Amino acid sequence: MKAAGLQSVVSTFREIKSRAESQWWELRDGGKPVVLVGTATCGRAAGALEVVQAIRDELKKQKLDCPVIEVGCMGHCYAEPIVTIIKPGYPPICYGHVNPVIAERLIREFILGDDPCLEFVLGALEENDLVPSFSDFPRAKFEKKVILKNCGYIDPQQIEHYIANGGYSALVKALQMPPEKIIDEVKRSGLRGRGGAGFPAGEKWEICRNASGKPKYLICNGDEGDPGAFMDRAILESDPHSVLEGMLIAGYAIGAPFGYLYVRAEYPLAVRRAQLALRQARKLNLLGRNILGSDFSFDIKLFQGSGAFVCGEETALIASLEGKPGIPHYRPPYPATNGLYGKPTLINNVKTLSFIRHIIQNGAEWFVSIGTERSKGTAVFALAGKVVNTGLTEVPMGTTLRQVIFDVGSGIPGGKRFKAVQIGGPSGGCLPESALDLPIDFDSLADAGAMMGSGGMIVLDEDDCMVEIARYFLDFTQRESCGKCTFCRLGTKQMLEVLDEITKGKGKIKDLDMLVELAEDIKAGSLCGLGKTAPNPVLSTLRFFRDEYEAHIKEGRCPALMCRELIAYYIIPEKCERSCDACVGTCTVEAISANKKRVKVIDQEKCVKCGTCLTSCPPQYNAVVKLSPPSQVPASK
Amino acid sequence: MIEEQAKVKQQTRRILNRFGRKRENLIPILQKVQGKLGYFPREAMLEIAEFLDMPEIDVYSVVTFYNQFRLIPPGKHSVRVCLGTACHMKGGYIALDAWKRRLDIDRGQTTLDREFDLETVACVGCCVMAPVTVVDDKPQAKVEPTKVDGILLSFKLEKERQGEESR
Amino acid sequence: MKTISLTIDGKKVTASEGEKVLWAALDNGIYIPNLCALRDASESPAACCLCFVEVEGKSQPVTACTERVEQGMVVNTRSPGALRLARTALELLLASNVVDCAHCPANGSCELQKIAHHLGVKLKTRRFRKLLRELPVDSSSPVFIYDPNKCVLCGRCVWVCRERLGIGVLGFAHRGFERLVTTFADEPIAESRCRECGECVVACPTGALTFKEQ
Repeated sequence: MKAAGLQSVVSTFREIKSRAESQWWELRDGGKPVVLVGTATCGRAAGALEVVQAIRDELKKQKLDCPVIEVGCMGHCYAEPIVTIIKPGYPPICYGHVNPVIAERLIREFILGDDPCLEFVLGALEENDLVPSFSDFPRAKFEKKVILKNCGYIDPQQIEHYIANGGYSALVKALQMPPEKIIDEVKRSGLRGRGGAGFPAGEKWEICRNASGKPKYLICNGDEGDPGAFMDRAILESDPHSVLEGMLIAGYAIGAPFGYLYVRAEYPLAVRRAQLALRQARKLNLLGRNILGSDFSFDIKLFQGSGAFVCGEETALIASLEGKPGIPHYRPPYPATNGLYGKPTLINNVKTLSFIRHIIQNGAEWFVSIGTERSKGTAVFALAGKVVNTGLTEVPMGTTLRQVIFDVGSGIPGGKRFKAVQIGGPSGGCLPESALDLPIDFDSLADAGAMMGSGGMIVLDEDDCMVEIARYFLDFTQRESCGKCTFCRLGTKQMLEVLDEITKGKGKIKDLDMLVELAEDIKAGSLCGLGKTAPNPVLSTLRFFRDEYEAHIKEGRCPALMCRELIAYYIIPEKCERSCDACVGTCTVEAISANKKRVKVIDQEKCVKCGTCLTSCPPQYNAVVKLSPPSQVPASK
Repeated sequence: MIEEQAKVKQQTRRILNRFGRKRENLIPILQKVQGKLGYFPREAMLEIAEFLDMPEIDVYSVVTFYNQFRLIPPGKHSVRVCLGTACHMKGGYIALDAWKRRLDIDRGQTTLDREFDLETVACVGCCVMAPVTVVDDKPQAKVEPTKVDGILLSFKLEKERQGEESR
Repeated sequence: MKTISLTIDGKKVTASEGEKVLWAALDNGIYIPNLCALRDASESPAACCLCFVEVEGKSQPVTACTERVEQGMVVNTRSPGALRLARTALELLLASNVVDCAHCPANGSCELQKIAHHLGVKLKTRRFRKLLRELPVDSSSPVFIYDPNKCVLCGRCVWVCRERLGIGVLGFAHRGFERLVTTFADEPIAESRCRECGECVVACPTGALTFKEQ
């Protein structure tokens, strides 16, 4: 790049940055209290927008002039809605499980008064003498936030917040480097694609840069379709510019003038926030023609997916960008040489691109210093299922599953016993307790029969049936199969039929061998990654939990009491309280009635096994139980 | 009927005029058209095929491939039951059954009175609130059969209230 | 164009550079089962999964329709691994096909019969569940009958109608197990733009598209 251009880049950005910083510090240190509310999708589901409204109303009522800022997701999803108050003289304090009533109190008692309402405190963002900070949490020892650092801390709708916190500085640095040098840096960092398979990112960049054909394209894959993974959503909603900056650097490095940001249809808020981010970046000339006065031009178009899991596969994603059904092609040729409209196309996942600015800014050595021998950097996991601290976490590669589930996630709620952890969604597998001390990285998970996938981690306890979870994933992949190749279209359907029969107690023991044989063929013969990995959940549960399959087949019993055809709800007459009618009133199908002795009885014919009676039976009676096999229910006299 | 078809064509054309005649615009066009019409009547798909100069079956291929696109009119309220892993394991299938039972339709259908349509989604990314049902774009947390009844009751009350007001 | 020599099933053969193993084999009288590949199409869809072969030096069987010939390549079309995949794929297709040969006009000329014979697979497979979709038969056209229950989704008819004839009445619609060859809005063929040329019937390897008896 020409020297004159470079000078302009540096000086133009310096001005932008100093304006952004003064805005940021005006907000943080301007003498006024500031209220931050997490309004990412997870927050909204818990009622964050009602909290925002309550705060605004109360501030108006109290005639307080204090900015209310909507931020993204901090990862502590279990405690949503989360409100952070930054008041001069106090550390920034986070409050969890805030509802409109608590919100009003926080305004009156903390902002107007001086009582920081310690009873609602979740933690402080900085260390202090008043309240425990997040860094004092036991989980902090295991976490290392790199790409989640800004999430929940800055306003994703203000580019200035991002810039003031170091944003776009990596782009400016990159523009002063020759593209080859950037690719070299990414290669040396050992960054592997976070979309699932873990292909070395730098190598992919190099192949694409060296490929002939113009123009080149860049695609950011935000078609996060794994059920149970939501980190790409969180990043796009909470820190969209970090993704754009990664795309800009990648575009510059491979020589692409144009990029697509492909976002899943089910994420409307992520789409809105990314669109706003694009407009803001364009306005500051961080995007568009001659970026910051340099000779690098790059623009990004947002493309909304239309709901097809298979579009996470590169070639299917490209087909859908071209206006076709998302049906994969045979590879090779790979998109890096023959991609969108047959041109060289680099496709990276949201998380992969989010790491780029940190690698450019801090250098490859810094990135290499985190993680394991063959998997560098951090891994982001979405913890969900039967775990206390559901939400997002970022840990160095090599952290053990036990640390993530029990130290970061605080273990299993309700004193239940851990059974398995499902990693990698429909392409991954279920790992048992014996695998808990496995250090997590791409290769160790693959060896154990799971897969990093996109980082969804669903914790399962004793109440979860392993046959049912395998059936669930197969049902999912089977529905999401594009239907092109025989193995995936018909093979997964055959497997699903068998699993359906097993969960209904109609399976045969020889079916298990057929399942394994067919699974192996589907893995070897399917056209794309969706089909090749579809049997994994079945294979891994068969490997580690074969006894559960056998209990279903041989005894017609579901050990976890989950499979509906194999269980029955029963009210123990001795425990049932005459005067209580809780189950009768709540039963959704009116299957429960009282007999002459006022003991409640379930009509098994009518019962749909929804479990409402069990939850509604007051704990002091605890009269409703699940029995498996259903024949255990005593015949009514 | 013919009047309605003409209206569909006109509405579709108005949207098409904002796009270039390139195949890559097909999915954004479909999204906008469905946003306006709620689903794809036959005439809308034909109009789009003509505009992009492609065989009409290709439009139909795309519409039937993606989960988001509908071939039947939606209800006034949309009910989308999340069947992501966390939701499923925490009883999403029980919630789905409850919705099916109360609305008396299967997934992908609209009630006869066009009040509700029922869909399932793979994951809305709110695994923490499992099981989730998104009702009219608002994610509802921890949806058990009794909550299904509660949500439906609130719609019913709202409708009655509006009925009284308009009287 | 450069000529490449390779070995298929022990036989030394030559092929043009860039040619796919499938065509090189067929041109030299070595049969490899296949349904979806078309010589005139630029790329094979690699959908039917029947043409698996073993290539020396590769850890897993590959589809012959996508694998390019290379100098000195050693191909085995009858290796146990390749045959296992091809057999499973065929059995899967048969398990979701009505297989009503006695009443089918394609009886005797059906490629499924030929492939089953080649692979030593029984037409009435027992290994898998019979999973039929029971779709309506379309006999609206004056010229031919379309029975989607006998369709293997090879796409030959779609390709002929669209690429060779430029008509584009037929196409794939729906997804996964529901995927099928159909017309716009699944309407009867007689109501479509079909010109009744019958080329799709000629292309069909099974009894899914058959001429009406005159």
